Amino acid sequence: MKTYKLTVATPNGNVFEDEVVMLTVRGVAGELAVMAGHIPFVTAIKPSDCKIELENGDERFGHVEGGLLTVSNESVTLLAGSFCWVDK
Amino acid sequence: MGADIKKLRNRIKSVDSTLHLTTAMGLVASSKIRRAMDAMNKGRQYENAVKNAIAPLLTSLECQKSPFMNGNENGKVCLVVIAGDRGLAGGYNANIFRALRDYPNAHIIPIGKRACERFKADVILAENYTFADAVNMAKTICDGFKAGEYSKVGILCTRYVSMLSQEACVKWMLPLVASQEKSSSDVIYEPDEITILNAAINEYVAGMLVSAVRESFASEVAARRCAMDSAGKNAQEMIDNLQLEYNRARQGAITQEITEIVAGSGM
Repeated sequence: MKTYKLTVATPNGNVFEDEVVMLTVRGVAGELAVMAGHIPFVTAIKPSDCKIELENGDERFGHVEGGLLTVSNESVTLLAGSFCWVDK
Repeated sequence: MGADIKKLRNRIKSVDSTLHLTTAMGLVASSKIRRAMDAMNKGRQYENAVKNAIAPLLTSLECQKSPFMNGNENGKVCLVVIAGDRGLAGGYNANIFRALRDYPNAHIIPIGKRACERFKADVILAENYTFADAVNMAKTICDGFKAGEYSKVGILCTRYVSMLSQEACVKWMLPLVASQEKSSSDVIYEPDEITILNAAINEYVAGMLVSAVRESFASEVAARRCAMDSAGKNAQEMIDNLQLEYNRARQGAITQEITEIVAGSGM
């Protein structure tokens, strides 16, 4: 699977910075997933749970307290006021 | 002569206890420096990330009409003033209040115990300032700005240059200024630019606030360490001088006593 670099930036530093396959969050216009090769895209995020699919097939779950998702050609940044892992 | 010796001994004792105090405060500051610098760097990282995310938005025509890009010319200047929680940090607090003299009519929002006491507001400690506090404050500021109360909003904080030098400066937050660079127009905004800008503006202001508070706190700790270092050095020098004087007076007294005894024995 093709991967891309995802950064989750919070005021307490970057809590996640790695290659991922897919990110699923809830934007203001509805649930969305970002995979590698997505066109440049910006949206606001609602407070919601999000799912990160890692390169090795593992899935990680987190809760994001609203923010901004920026997809550029090189990388994807999830800006969140607060972010916490809710790994099962 | 005897009274003189006693006076000197008391002075040495008092300077010595000052030395203990400055050393202790210096050590406390040193232990806090690492954590403060770490927090400062993380705050800066977040601030830059938010700025990078917002920058392309500002060049869009739709956002140029946003109230956040055009301040009310007749409004007041709003300043968030960040000072320390405690004194004994060299010129740290004084520099902030001196810089504030340039804005006599500004609406002040203080952070840090010293600033809060000066402006008679509820105390908000700079050391324990959280992102949640910043979000609340950002909301008030943004609402005020949107309502046209302010012409511009800035943060008066201390910029951390190095361990030895920090300077008071004003960082302007609002109105937002578009960069000259042309944005790539092929970015898709969902649902549209203005909605995203309105959603992101709180994060932007809060991010800048948190970053500024953390930078100021790191500056405060560094300034305190420097001040305590030099105060400690001065105290040690003073003790050395007083000790010399004390020894001389003691020797003088002994010599005099011997002279008296010798004279009295009639040899």
